[in-house]
Amino acid sequence: MAALAVDPPRGGFSFENCKRNALLAQKGMKAPTAYKTGTTICGIIFKDGVILGADTRATEDTIVADKNCSKIHFIAPNIYCCGAGTAADTEMTTQMISSNLELHRLNTGRVPRVCTANRMLKQMLWRYQGYISAALVLGGVDPTGPHLYSVYPHGSTDKLPYVTMGSGSLAAMSVFESRYKPDMEKEEGMKLVRDAIAAGIFNDLGSGSNVDLCIITKDKVDYIRPYDEANLKGKRQGSYKYKPGTTAVLTSEVKPLELEILDTQIVSEPMEVS
Amino acid sequence: MFLTRSEYDRGVNTFSPEGRIFQVEYAIEAIKLGSTAIGIQTSEGVVLAVEKRVTSPLIEPSSIEKIFEIDHHIGCAMSGLIADSRTMVDRARVEAQNHWFTYNENMSVESVTQSVSNLALAFGDDDADPGAMSRPFGVALLFAGIDDKGPQLFHMDPSGTFIQYDAKAIGSASEGAQQTLQEVYHKSMTLKEACKNALTILKQVMEEKLNSLNVELATVTPAAGYKLFSKEEIEDLIKDI
Amino acid sequence: MQMDPGLHKGEGYQYGPNPKQHYFSPYSMNGGTVLAIAGEDFAVVASDTRLSEGFSIHTRDSPKTYQLTNSTVLGCTGFHGDVLTVTKLLEARLKMYKNEHNRQMSTSAIAAMLSTVLYYRRFFPYYVYNIIGGLDDEGKGAVYSFDPIGSYEREAYRAGGTASSMLQPLLDNQIGFKNQEGVTKVPLSKEKAVFLVKDVFISAAERDIYTGDNIMIHVTTKDGTETEVFPLRRD
Repeated sequence: MAALAVDPPRGGFSFENCKRNALLAQKGMKAPTAYKTGTTICGIIFKDGVILGADTRATEDTIVADKNCSKIHFIAPNIYCCGAGTAADTEMTTQMISSNLELHRLNTGRVPRVCTANRMLKQMLWRYQGYISAALVLGGVDPTGPHLYSVYPHGSTDKLPYVTMGSGSLAAMSVFESRYKPDMEKEEGMKLVRDAIAAGIFNDLGSGSNVDLCIITKDKVDYIRPYDEANLKGKRQGSYKYKPGTTAVLTSEVKPLELEILDTQIVSEPMEVS
Repeated sequence: MFLTRSEYDRGVNTFSPEGRIFQVEYAIEAIKLGSTAIGIQTSEGVVLAVEKRVTSPLIEPSSIEKIFEIDHHIGCAMSGLIADSRTMVDRARVEAQNHWFTYNENMSVESVTQSVSNLALAFGDDDADPGAMSRPFGVALLFAGIDDKGPQLFHMDPSGTFIQYDAKAIGSASEGAQQTLQEVYHKSMTLKEACKNALTILKQVMEEKLNSLNVELATVTPAAGYKLFSKEEIEDLIKDI
Repeated sequence: MQMDPGLHKGEGYQYGPNPKQHYFSPYSMNGGTVLAIAGEDFAVVASDTRLSEGFSIHTRDSPKTYQLTNSTVLGCTGFHGDVLTVTKLLEARLKMYKNEHNRQMSTSAIAAMLSTVLYYRRFFPYYVYNIIGGLDDEGKGAVYSFDPIGSYEREAYRAGGTASSMLQPLLDNQIGFKNQEGVTKVPLSKEKAVFLVKDVFISAAERDIYTGDNIMIHVTTKDGTETEVFPLRRD
């Protein structure tokens, strides 16, 4: 039986139009471009937990598509995940893992572990052989302590005390390499992560706007958005408001609404109580 | 008179011990054999007038041409070996067009003269310039035109030397004509007066009787640019003198 | 500059029966935006000062404006290597013209010459977008805009470079009064031109990743050229 367009999806991706699209591409049709979060994301482990950081620029080719997008995604109450790459991929991937991790928590009745989220992410990404463009920084605190991972689009992962990802990863890493030390205080760690993201914002054209931070400790999560507005928008001198009537009216037409006026009477009936 | 100058008058690239290049000087002498040409610059424009030597009644007078248009705003009169001038006029025309093509503006009279001067100096060298010859050109030129500085008149001789004049005569009767020009020239002369003066002087120095067929006259003005006078227009001018 | 795009695909390099095509791509795009506005007796030429390639900033201090003469300023963006070559060539040609003709080149003559310089490379073009601003022979403001192979025209205002498609519609509306009903078309003052330049660049820096850091603004009048630097966002 032919599937109807309205049939609910059964899970997984649809590859229905692959052959057709390949043919169209061969004939010169351009596929639509997706938003990429040319991005700076990073994270560190400090004395009491994990600090994640991200910029807030989303680009479409050379145009800034979103000046204040959110790149630190919720996985579980004690786990968050920064995403770089294709916006849709990072968004959906983190949400799917978040759902599955919640099912896992309901089944086991335990606080989810970061290593579990990491394993689920890498297995999913590896299955799609890099075609899901999600480069992630996964961090959280579970009963075994604070953990920080970087996850690459092909499914490989690293577990490190400080990681960076995205097009601004080199700029951010240069800050970490010069200033990171183990067991930092929270304030110092936040300053370090801010500076790492700021390095990406200023030196990488794919990153920009503000700094978001997420500080995860054993018993508290501080999601600060924005933590710092690294760039102030310029003040415009002119006024660009138009007087009413500036827009030309090309044609106008008046259509009277034909309404049938009905009288309505409300008659109260006693409630049946038998 | 030149017998004593042997040895050094053959090569065009050899100075004599006195520091002269005889071939260039001989070329300048050749001008003195040519028909007389006059140029006068006024505030309204410049006039060029030349004598045509119609040596036989069988000559078709209109086939003798000694005033040429270089560009819409520049004309050129000549005396000497007229055939030599063809190359130079061609060069001037190409330079003027090239300048217009490149800069979308008229080339100045001085710059046109300069470019022709460069050609005049390139004699002797085999491949210095495609237009150059093995000997100096045997012709002198008067460039008349209008540019940013107003009406301008330039004289250039076979050595490539060019000088700006208010009024200049070249050719066989140039000495007498120049003398007369000095006497009649004044800064407030009108173009009409200049045309008449030019014809009057030609009339004085020409062997034949001046008529509309044995002179050529052209003006360059800001309004009309280069204009070669027709037979009738010259007749009208002759009536007035 | 990228040589052989195949290099980055990780296809392996074993010898095989199939021929492999190699590419040489001598151009790159270094970004940046230029803008020129002609007024009654003045001209404004402005550019941002960011020079970049891909996602990297080469420098934050590379204006794309070039003072050619007392009365002419050139804005030039595209491939920086070609920008350097074209501006050097123009400077040389300007000097040659001065030597040959004993005067400074007029704005219109520079525009005509630039067109021939560009068209000379019709089949291996300079990858540059040029906009000339200055005063014409009558002392009126003049703007000439070019495509990379020498097509040019005189206009009242023009934006060029990576953010040109963002600036131009705003200029059309604010200077050309396009798509406005019942508006009095007042002549553009120098002050309004300068603040418009700042405002449109502030907006462009918000959305174009290749536009930012600073603007260099040149205002040319009969008294010469005044230059101002105005800060933009740096991310």
